[in-house]
Formats: sequence, structure tokens, C-alpha cells
Amino acid sequence: MRRPVKNVAVRFSAIVSVVALLVAVTSCSPTPEATQSKTLKIVYQKTDSFTALDAVMQDAKKEFEAANSGVTVDLQPIQANDDDYGTKLSLAQRSADTAPDVFYEDTFKVRSDVDAGYLLKLDSYLEKWDDWSAFNEAAKAAGRADDGGIYAVPLGTDTRAIWYNKAVLQKAGVSLPWQPKTWDDILTTARAIKASDPNVIPFNMYAGKGTGEGTVMQSFYELLYGTDSTLYDEKEKKWVVGSLGFTDSLAFLKTLYDEKLAVSPAEALDANVWKKVFGEWFPQGKLAATVEGSYTPSFWQKGGAYEWPGYEQDMAVAMFPTQKGQEPGGVSMSGGWTLAVGAKSKNPELAFQFLTTALNKKNALAYDINNSQIAVRTDVASEPQYLAANPFVKDVSDLVKVTHYRPATADYPRISSAVQVATEAVITGKQSPEDAAAEYDATVRKLVGEDKVLEK
Amino acid sequence: MTGSRLRAPAGADSTTTTRSARSRARVGADIALVVIGLCFMAPLLWLLLAAVDPQAGYQTTVPSTPSTDNFRAVLTPELLFRPLANSFLLSAGTAVVNVLVAVLAAYPLSRYQSRFNKPFMYTVLFGTSLPVTAIMVPVYGLFVQLQLLDSMAATIFFMATTTLPMAIWMTKNFMDSVPLELEEAAWMDGASNMAALRTVVLPLMRQGLGVVFIFVFIQAWGNFFVPFILLLSPSKQPAAVSIFSFFGQHGAIAYGQLAAFSILYSVPVLVLYAVVSRGMGNSFALSGAMKG
Amino acid sequence: MTIRRSLRLLPVVPSILLLLLFLLAPVVWSFYASFTDASLSGKAARDPQWVGADNYVRMFSDDSFPLAAWLTVVFVAASAVLGQNVLGLLIALLMTRSRRAVSSLVGTAVVAAWVLPEIVAAFAAYAYFNRDGTLNQLLGVVGGQGPDWLYSFPMVAIVLANTWRGTAFSMLVYRAALADVPRDISEAALVDGAKGWQRLTYITLPLIRSSIATNLMLITLQTLAVFTLIWVMTAGGPANASTTLPVLAYQEAFKFGDIGYGTAVASVLILLGMVFGAVYVRLLREQRP
Repeated sequence: MRRPVKNVAVRFSAIVSVVALLVAVTSCSPTPEATQSKTLKIVYQKTDSFTALDAVMQDAKKEFEAANSGVTVDLQPIQANDDDYGTKLSLAQRSADTAPDVFYEDTFKVRSDVDAGYLLKLDSYLEKWDDWSAFNEAAKAAGRADDGGIYAVPLGTDTRAIWYNKAVLQKAGVSLPWQPKTWDDILTTARAIKASDPNVIPFNMYAGKGTGEGTVMQSFYELLYGTDSTLYDEKEKKWVVGSLGFTDSLAFLKTLYDEKLAVSPAEALDANVWKKVFGEWFPQGKLAATVEGSYTPSFWQKGGAYEWPGYEQDMAVAMFPTQKGQEPGGVSMSGGWTLAVGAKSKNPELAFQFLTTALNKKNALAYDINNSQIAVRTDVASEPQYLAANPFVKDVSDLVKVTHYRPATADYPRISSAVQVATEAVITGKQSPEDAAAEYDATVRKLVGEDKVLEK
Repeated sequence: MTGSRLRAPAGADSTTTTRSARSRARVGADIALVVIGLCFMAPLLWLLLAAVDPQAGYQTTVPSTPSTDNFRAVLTPELLFRPLANSFLLSAGTAVVNVLVAVLAAYPLSRYQSRFNKPFMYTVLFGTSLPVTAIMVPVYGLFVQLQLLDSMAATIFFMATTTLPMAIWMTKNFMDSVPLELEEAAWMDGASNMAALRTVVLPLMRQGLGVVFIFVFIQAWGNFFVPFILLLSPSKQPAAVSIFSFFGQHGAIAYGQLAAFSILYSVPVLVLYAVVSRGMGNSFALSGAMKG
Repeated sequence: MTIRRSLRLLPVVPSILLLLLFLLAPVVWSFYASFTDASLSGKAARDPQWVGADNYVRMFSDDSFPLAAWLTVVFVAASAVLGQNVLGLLIALLMTRSRRAVSSLVGTAVVAAWVLPEIVAAFAAYAYFNRDGTLNQLLGVVGGQGPDWLYSFPMVAIVLANTWRGTAFSMLVYRAALADVPRDISEAALVDGAKGWQRLTYITLPLIRSSIATNLMLITLQTLAVFTLIWVMTAGGPANASTTLPVLAYQEAFKFGDIGYGTAVASVLILLGMVFGAVYVRLLREQRP
């Protein structure tokens, strides 16, 4: 074969340029954002049934950009359920280029993400923020990490209670207002409802991995914290294993599902089951009662995802009872979400300023009303407009007296998942409550180590 | 073929027997095939009917009030057009990179004998067998290290690499079928290798390149997992991912819209596939590509 | 001379760079990370520690890994080796003796499931196997009462769905292979009075055995990597009853943020892929000496 030598050079240069291009594009492809005009990246959750935060962020963006010329606020709402949102947020936080400046963070993830170095310590900024004094003490503690510093500012909080449809209970001959005193009271009423109309779901409680954190917050913990046991010993800083309360709680769920007092296990495992609860079963009178959060009215009020005119008349709230009626007579769980500033933010000062704009009195009020949150700012909590937002504000706010918080430790998310697995095994009949509890114990021991568990 | 030695003497009698036996076999085969075809159609029927049924559920029913409501509901920039544009960018980018890199790699492999060729081709072949879902966890880690997360360009190059072994393999086979004499004539006229490649070889294997392009494009268009992990901003999500979040959020209610969305998202690849299979015969150049 | 010879190979460089960066590097990183406690959150996210073989030890003491490995084997054997392969061959054989119009129409139906974006196929399968879905409607017509497939028989549902989705590939491979089998051979056998079954096992199959081997390897590898279909249909549930290795790796790494353990599971999957890949390459080499 004959080949002119000069072509080698031409060919060489052509190829080198292609290679150079390849390397250039791959190595510097995160589009370098213009650094002259500053941009703040805000990441939060938005779904078809949760737009209240988006509305607040839009307002805050306008306000903030008007007050700070040259700063662009880049809103990046992530469309995902709570679980997937958490995953996407963690995925983004590991890299400085994709880490957001300000983001929406679940309280139970705060400590673990502080450990990971994702959150900026806010103490020095909070000192200079006058509004900080308006936040109540519990709210201030929600963003505290193991080192005592504050890393996140809560948007609102919530409690959990029994929500029941008065019309359905009345038809079954239950006298109103209904307030069960023990777990047995719940079963008695549920069986009565079932007997009077087999098509009604008498008392649903979430279970399984499908509903994720909802399974523990709106179901299992109401049971467990109402026994003589608990999940985590705050004093000893150890996880509780081998408790009778844990097995009893699983057994209660088993009874509900076995006697078909709750939805079918297949429906329970559907991640979207809660949408049916709010969107179909309650409004259509197919569900008598369930355990849900104080934010429940946000779905039904005007502008909510499942508008239901007249829900105020049909629905009522009851405190979830303790197992045998022991003190304090009721149980509730509180969680809530916060805003935090990214530790990798290039403009921490500006990012914190944006956070204060999003959480100022006006925006906090709008958010608490639209999302039916329990206010954490004392000045918002006393606003007549807030108190009149829906007829249940007082009922659910009173539950703060009996409420519990999740252990905010770094390994909590995995423990929660182990609890969900146990509930799933029980309601699907794969394991007895005793076996599922034993497996939970084994998982916990493996996760946190022998020295961090407590037999109780 | 060793089999041709088995040829039997074909008498007049046996032809008749053969014909009647064959026609009996044909009816049986037709019926069996139709049954199989119906089974394969059944899951798709729901998609088609639900898309025009505003009250669709999971049941396959003929809509009582057929309408285009579902389509109109999803025909919005945020829901459909931007994700589709992103899908197009990702797929076209992936296909361009693939064809470019594969042609460059295939040329020396096809044209020069070298001790390097065989090991390389077998390594490439070996590369086709890596389960892409398995490397997604490490790829995510790699993207974090290199700060490539949420970058369209990097995602394109990654997706291109996952289909590259197959593309190189196919391209080399297509190039092998272009006779060397034509290029030699071009060299005589003083053309360089690259010029010969561009002016002689590539035009002759245009159809083959089209197949590679479309093959890669279809794969990238349908890819869900890779962009799901590597792209984070909502504004960069392709349709495969946005349809998933749409489903997760509206899952309990908007079945009809989901079906309509699915159809609109699937049409481009169905059309492309039809183009290829018409041009290349039904086997989609598979025999050439797969058997090596 | 040697310089010019190696310069000739220069155009191969971009492909090598890409393959090194995006295929080899992740594989190496995967094996490395599987020996650390790298994580998405918590202290280990900031400062991953070398934990030796802890992740692998845990893998085999955990119940979920052996289960996932077993389910992966079942999934591959049932949906690829049995389902796609046998059905694909059957369709291709039937097509050789059916009317042209019928075979092209049925071919389109089979291929449609394959060309659809995987997530759309997954949604369609999800709806089909739903409790109120088309399958149970059909069973209802013949007087049966269908179960909730995705809940009671999740493996059956995903195996059938993957067979439905992937059969087209085997069908296309076998159609091409059968097209090379001279027609008179099978006809001659027909004349000799050979039964269809005998013709198939003694004549046709031996002739296309290399295609069968190749096809089996390819669909095994593809099926090993299936994630989206399962994720959308069952998300691995209920209670891990349909969690195959890719689903397990995803859950551990991204849902629970345990990158170290997730990559350990992924590494096992990669090793499996490598074994099959090596066999596949070997087969092809034998075919073309």
C-alpha cells in the first residue's frame, strides 16, 4: 500500500483536535455559570398536591431580587415524593457544583447531613437576625445538631391525630364526638363499623415500605410511643430492642389488616395509597377513620389538591389513645421541614438572607395557612387569620402537649426503614409479630452495634 | 453449508404431498402466530384506549366518551415539550458521538492488519456485556469526583460510551463490506486516508451509519436509569424521567393522561424503527451486527 | 515504520479514552468503593473509611442478598432462557411456514413491545397486571377470578412482562438464522416422513446452534441488567419478593445512602456480567477461527 507521508500530519492534527474536543467537553462540561452576577440555587419539593412551598419561594424570589440587584435566584423545584426527593437532594449535595445554596430539608435528616458536612452552621448569622427571637423553643431545637449549633430553620411543624368522617361513624351508630381511650376502643368501634357496612374501610393505618416515612410517623410510632416502650432511649442514647411494646404494636397492625378493618395489604403497599385516602375514600364516605397529619386540611381546602367543600362539617379529629389508656392518655408525633444553607455555598451571606426572606412573617403566615402547618413563629401563631385558617387549628395545636419527636440521629433513616420492613412482613402474613420484631432487633444490632442497643 | 448435501431427489409425487402438507402446516402456523400476536398486543391495547378516555382506569374498556382531553392536558411546555426537547438533545448527542467515534475507531480496524485489532475487538465485545445498571452506582461516584453531575454533555458522553462497543462492532462490519479497491483508487489520486474515508467510504456505508445512528438514538431515547441518576435539575430531565415523576405524583388518578403522554413519547422511536426496518429488511441488520 | 504503524491506530484513541473513562474507571471504582463505608449522608459521607471485606461479609450474613441473588437467577432463567429464547424461536419457526402478511403483522406486534421506551413498556405492563387490569379482565371473560398479580405473584408478573418485552430480539436473531437454513433440507426431511419435532431437533437446531448460543448469552446479559421494568412494576416488593440484584444495589446505595454496600452488590453483578461476557466472547471466537 502506498501512502503519502504528509497525510499523516494532517490526519494526526485532525484526530488530536477531536480528542482534545472530547476531553475538553468532558472535563469542563458543568456549564460555568456567570460568576459576575451572583446566582443562588434553591432546591425544594413540589408535587401536584404540594404547591404551597413553591408559591412561597416564587414570592420570596421576587422580593429578594428586588431588594438585591445583580442577584439571580434560581428556583429548582424537584418533582418527587418525599423519598425520592431525599435521594435527589443527597445526590446533589455530594458535589460542590450541584449542591444548592438554600434547600428544603426534613428535620430527621438534619443531624445526619450535618455529620456529612452538607449544612452550614447558622449561629453567627442567626444572632444578627431579629426575627429569630419570634421562633418558639421547640422550633429552635429542631435544627440543632450534636455539637449544639443550629443548622436549619423550621418552616412549620405538625402533629398527628385520628381523622374521622362523622357521617360514616354516625351511620354505624357510634356516638359523637368519638374519642377512643385505648387500642381496644379503636378495634371495638372499627368492628362495629365493619358490621354495619362491610364496604366501608373502618380504620386504616399505614404499613409497609410503600408509604415510607408515613408508615412510621402516621401509624407505627403512634402505637409504639403509646406502649410502655419506646424506640430510642434519649438518656442512654441507645436503641431499644426486645420490647413487648414493639411486638404489641405489630400485633395491633396485624389485627387491623387480618380482620380487614384497614385497606387490603396490596393497597397498603402502594406508595400512592395516601392519595386515595385524601382524594377518594374520605370524600366519598368509603373510609371511616385513619391516622394522619395536622396538614390534612391543606388537601381539602380551597386551592388544595383534592378540594372538598364542606369537609369542615364532615370531618373531625380525635387524639390517638395510648395502649391501655395509660398517662398521658394520648400520643402524637411531630416532624416538619426546615430550610437550610448549603455548607458549600459560595455566597453564604446572601443565601442566609434569602432564607430569612422566605421565612419572614408574611411568607411564613402564607405557608402555614396554605399548607395547614402548625406555626413555629409566635407572631404568626397569634394572627387571627392563622387561627381561623381551618376549624382544626386548635385541636391539632393542642396535641403538641402529648407529642413525640423522632430520634434525630444519623442512623435514624435506616432504623426507620427496618421498622417499615417489619410492618410489611406482618401485614402481608410473611412473619408473625414476634418473628418480625426479632428480625428488627437483629437488624438494629447489626446497624448500630451491640454497644448502642438496650434490652427493654 | 454442510446441510445442502442432504438434498433429496424431488419426484412428482412427493411434490404433491409436500404441497398439501405445507398448506396444512401453514394454516396451523397462521393460527398459532395470530394467537401469539394477540397476546403481545393485549398490554398495549390499554395504552391506546386509555389515552382517549378521560375517565380511564386500569381496565381496558372502549371509552364511553372518547376525547382528546388527555392529550390536551399533557401538551404543555413544562410537562411535555421541554422533556421531549431534552430527550432529543440527549439521544441525538449520544448518537452523533457514537457514530463519530465509532467511524474513527472502525477505520483502522477495518483497513489495516495489526496485532492490536483482534484483542481490541474482543475487548470491545466484552464491553457490550457489562450490565449498565450495575455500574450506575460507581458512575454516580465518578461523576461526583469529576464534578460532572447534572451536566448534559457528560451524560451524553457516558451514554455514548455504554452503546459504543456495539456501535464500533456494527460500524466495523459495515465498513468491512466496502471494497478496498475504491479507496486505493482515491489514494492514487493523492487523497489522504481521512479524505478517502470521508469522500469514498462513508458515502458508501451511509445506510449502515444510519442504522447505527438510529440504533443508538432509540436506546438513548428510552433510557431511564442513567439520566435519572446523573441529571438533577428539573429543567434538564428527559421525558423518560419526567414521565416517571408524573406517574409518581398523579399515579392514583390520571391514568388517561399517563397513557397519552406515553404515546406521544413513544411515537418518535416507533417511526424511526419503521424507517430502519423498511430500509434494511426486517431483521434490522441484526444478523450482521450480532453474529459478528 | 513502527511509528507510522502506530500512528495509523490513532483514530482509535477517542474510543479508548471514552471506554477507559466511563466503563473501566467505574468498574475499578466500584471494586474500590465496595471496601469502604462511603455513604450519602452521615460522617462517612465526608470521610469514607476503609472497612476491608465488611460489606461482603454483611452481604452473606444478610437475608436480602441471598434472596436477591436467587431471584435474579430465577428471573434470568425464566424470562430470558425459557421465555424469550423459546418463544422467540417458536415464533421464528412458525413464521417460516406462515403467510407473509400474517408473519409481518405479528412481527410488528412483537417488535412494538421491544421498541417502546422501557418506562412506557413498564407502565403498560403495570396496568396489564394490575388487580383491575386487562389480564384479570380476560380471565374474567373465561370465568376465572384473577389474583392481584403484582402483589401475590410479583415474580410471575415481572417474568411475563420481561418475556413480553424482550422476545422480539430472539425472534429477530432466529429469523435471520433460519433464513440461512436451506429450505430443501427441511422439505427433504418432510418427504422422508420425519415428524416436525424430529426435523427440529435433528436438523434445524443443530444448524443454527451458534445463533442459539450467541442469543442466549446476549439476552442473559440484558436480563441481568433489567432495572426499570421491575422498579416501576413492583419496586422490588412486596417485602423484597421481587428484588433482584440491580434493584437491591439501587436501594442500598441511593435509598439508604449506603454507597459502600450498594457498590459491593453492584460489584458482584459486574463480576457475573464478566463471567457471562467471557463465555460469550469465547463462543464467538470458536465460531470464527
